[in-house]
Amino acid sequence: MSVAETFYDVIRRQGITRRSFTKFCSLTAASMGLGATGAANVANALETKPRVPVIWMHGLECTCCSESFIRSAHPLVKDVVLSMISLDYDDTIMAAAGHQADAILKETREKYKGQYILAVEGNPPLNEDGMFCIDGGRPFVEKLKEMAADASAIIAWGACASWGCVQAAKPNPTQATPIDKVITNKPIIKVPGCPPIAEVMTGVVTFITTFGRLPELDRQGRPQMFYSQRIHDKCYRRPHFDAGQFVEQWDDQNAREGKCLYKMGCKGPTTYNACSTVRWNNGVSFPIQSGHGCIGCSEDGFWDKGPFYERLSNINHFGVESNADKIGLTAAAVVGVGIAAHAAVTALGRVTVKHDDKAPPKA
Amino acid sequence: MTRLIVGPFNRVEGDLELTLDIAEGRVAQARVATTLYRGFEQILVGRLAADALTIAPRICGICSLSQSMAAAAALRGISGVQPPPNGVLAANIAHAAENIADHLTHFYLFFMPDFARASYAGEGWFAPVAARFTAVSGAAAQEVLPARARLLHVMGLIAGKWPHSLAIQPGGVTRALDLGEKMRLIAILSDFRAFLERSLFAAPLEQVAAIATPEQLADFSQGQGDFAAFLRVAESLRLETLGAVALPLISFGAYHSAQGALFPAGLFDPGASEARPLPIGAIGEDVAFSYMRDSAADPARSVTQPDADRENAYSWAKAPRLSGEPAETGAVARQAVAGDPLIRALIAQAGGTNVFVRVVARVIEIARLALAAEGWAREIRLKESFSEHGPAPLHGESIGMVEAARGALGHWLSVEKGVIQRYQIVAPTTWNFSPRDARGVPGPLEQALVGVDVGAAGAKAPVIQHVVRSFDPCMVCTAH
Repeated sequence: MSVAETFYDVIRRQGITRRSFTKFCSLTAASMGLGATGAANVANALETKPRVPVIWMHGLECTCCSESFIRSAHPLVKDVVLSMISLDYDDTIMAAAGHQADAILKETREKYKGQYILAVEGNPPLNEDGMFCIDGGRPFVEKLKEMAADASAIIAWGACASWGCVQAAKPNPTQATPIDKVITNKPIIKVPGCPPIAEVMTGVVTFITTFGRLPELDRQGRPQMFYSQRIHDKCYRRPHFDAGQFVEQWDDQNAREGKCLYKMGCKGPTTYNACSTVRWNNGVSFPIQSGHGCIGCSEDGFWDKGPFYERLSNINHFGVESNADKIGLTAAAVVGVGIAAHAAVTALGRVTVKHDDKAPPKA
Repeated sequence: MTRLIVGPFNRVEGDLELTLDIAEGRVAQARVATTLYRGFEQILVGRLAADALTIAPRICGICSLSQSMAAAAALRGISGVQPPPNGVLAANIAHAAENIADHLTHFYLFFMPDFARASYAGEGWFAPVAARFTAVSGAAAQEVLPARARLLHVMGLIAGKWPHSLAIQPGGVTRALDLGEKMRLIAILSDFRAFLERSLFAAPLEQVAAIATPEQLADFSQGQGDFAAFLRVAESLRLETLGAVALPLISFGAYHSAQGALFPAGLFDPGASEARPLPIGAIGEDVAFSYMRDSAADPARSVTQPDADRENAYSWAKAPRLSGEPAETGAVARQAVAGDPLIRALIAQAGGTNVFVRVVARVIEIARLALAAEGWAREIRLKESFSEHGPAPLHGESIGMVEAARGALGHWLSVEKGVIQRYQIVAPTTWNFSPRDARGVPGPLEQALVGVDVGAAGAKAPVIQHVVRSFDPCMVCTAH
């Protein structure tokens, strides 16, 4: 666990070939949008810079982020990034248990003071003095603050750590609170999604460990390279939205033909994530491809933005669908619908805000 | 008498803490505490019924599809919609893929690494086991993770994304597979079979599924493969004597089709020769030692109100009871109820369940499910519907019952005017890791730990880890 060890040293020890390593560098560079010289930069950094230690902690959560992470696409990522991280500390997969595990945590913290990245899955509940999440006999929030104090930066994995997620849904019984509301004096990178896409997670970890700094973030603290695209804009069903061709029921004829899921409640038009380009389960598919709309799980507050099976907002708000339905019958007007639909998209950002007023009554 | 606290546990989903009273080197009394709680039963109330399909599966990132299946089943019970055969088959395949993936993770990443601990270095079997199973760096993980990821492409094809898939609906699945996808599905399952037959079993799946007696199992242990390696370790350490309990075994039944359920619902008493029907109405939850306010025992009537100050409470988990008694659930219960001759024979030999039979049941089930999934994939009729459209659930009560990898999972749902009035979840590990009840009767793990010989190692004794992990706990589901 020497600080001077490089990423390349680690993977050589794992018996990974030079060829796989170069391939990994080009894939990673490509996924980060680093351009032609990117691969060489990544390779150079991985060979020469000391490996950045990562500590992975779990608060109030469901382990879906870890589950996503261990299935990333490139074998090298699985073998190496995984072992690289768990070399230090990870609750779910590490070898040690109990007091031994706590001792490793303390040791890592002291040894790499000010240098390590703290990756947090889940969030701290603050009600009842933190009683809703006790880890090693202490409220998780205390452990989090302690580990954050000596970290160089924090990765907030998933919707829980970034925004609160389902446990923060009304009435938020435990007062589950996102990391940036508890830790305010450290750089925090938010990697939202429930869970985030595996390749996005490994991309973020690799960028940080490669370059020793956080990637460029947007105003909400998310890495721009993965969260600057709207699902809707890169969706392969988008032409059907523009043409006003919509699925009306699961597995109806339009569904079989891959028409747009907007009327089934798809939140793609208001969601920023890489699902429609990177996709899930090693690029096999993503929710919209499975015939179900996007629920917007990477957006702040998605959990209280139901109903999930009704269109984002109905037509009367901005006047598209009745057009779309009518015009679906008249082929001549297709071009006009495309224009109207684009106008509608611009309006969506405002319209969705109204969802909260429409939330079902609470008992 | 000394008191030991064991925790935090690693290689377990979520947080767990044990309090063990040790007398003369043995566990005299154990308390199992679930130390995290999020409040799903409170959060779901007041939402539109269909939105349970989005919120409830997020209870667990490991068995989220089982949670989806339970939520869909509960909604189906109210709306009355019946999924077409394709919808059932596709959901079964996705469910089986999740179940198998969970069993693999448990065997390779959570359970076996404990035998690579330094304290076993003197054992004859140690060197190869350590080389293969040491956490993170062992050779097996390098094979298992890619094979598991490849298997979960099934989720990509059927369910879009996993964890937290959305495709499972009361009326079927949202994805109608085309010919290319059906072929890919069959190819994935056949690749996975190759991995199992090479690494885990080193034998054809049919041969594994046909093991019917303890003698045949002993023969199998002489072979190659990781399962045989486990069998040899188990024999040397006499794991059949560890973590023993003799409680009723329950299964809610899973993998339904026109021919009935592959693993039917039922109740099996150790020592009995036949399974009995499960009396659903006899299920209740006790909160005498839970951080909860008193409420009705019947999940169809109870209201969840956390009470962090409750006197004597030590766990966020409630204590599920069947006719007032604790019960064990999981692969061992599922296979015993389904009539697996090997599992029933091992239970009869030992007079109940133990670390050994729990693990054997899980591994054998991997073979059975992989075989069944191949059959389901071939049965899909591409031109027929995958989903039936039904009315929205407006009024009524229902129970969505399925088997998750770790055992019986039930969602008790009540809806009025389309809005959820009550949503109670009883998860598998809630049964297995339940705290004491009002009569002071301990839960299954609490009973299984009593009498365990920890020797001089105290809380660090690996046997404690074996007993706890033999149940494959999922703590995030337990208290939800």
